[in-house]
Amino acid sequence: VGEACTELKREYDQCFNRWFAEHFLKGDRSGDPCTETFRKYQRCVQKAIKEKDIPIDGVEFMGPNKDKPDS
Amino acid sequence: HPWEMVTKAAMQKYPNPMNPSVVGVDVLDRSVDQQGRLHSKRLLNTEWGLPSIVKSLIGNVRTCTYIQESSIVDPKERTFELQSSNITFTNMVSVDERLTYKPHPDDPEKTILTQEAIISVKGVSLSSYLEGVMANTISNNAGKVNPFLFIFML
Repeated sequence: VGEACTELKREYDQCFNRWFAEHFLKGDRSGDPCTETFRKYQRCVQKAIKEKDIPIDGVEFMGPNKDKPDS
Repeated sequence: HPWEMVTKAAMQKYPNPMNPSVVGVDVLDRSVDQQGRLHSKRLLNTEWGLPSIVKSLIGNVRTCTYIQESSIVDPKERTFELQSSNITFTNMVSVDERLTYKPHPDDPEKTILTQEAIISVKGVSLSSYLEGVMANTISNNAGKVNPFLFIFML
């Protein structure tokens, strides 16, 4: 969605895909190691969406810890 | 292919050379619920390649379409369900697509994909043409799950 976010996305995707295939799908309920990369990536995506005025419906832009979004 | 492999591939489906219209995908939200299911909300960015006559009618050359996708992966039940709909051009057309990946009941090495799309076009005289193009594209892409997996596995 924003070119500035591509590197952060790549970092997050790598982390997520590894966790998803090696832990989550195998039924391993241990914690998600990608929270921090996700948060960084999310902040970037959120900013790009606002800038491009994309009409997202009902999304709260939160990582797994459900912090309140900035207004 | 077994469900886990298909789900892993489907989660990383874009971008891929077999479906070049999807130019970007971003994760908007992701969480695991109390039952251990992974909920994801993603934003897909597609270029539809509309014929120029349609572009000239729409006026603006913005052929970039955004699609919002929600999905749930249940590793215990072994199901992967996705629902996506466009969030741009909603005044003209609405495509609501649902996919479900489940293990084949008779063969655990296989996965069944069920795909439905509800397409409605609003008040435009090209309605049957656009519906035809979209239905065609969606059904062409459904058959591409296996070849994509083959590329992915190499």
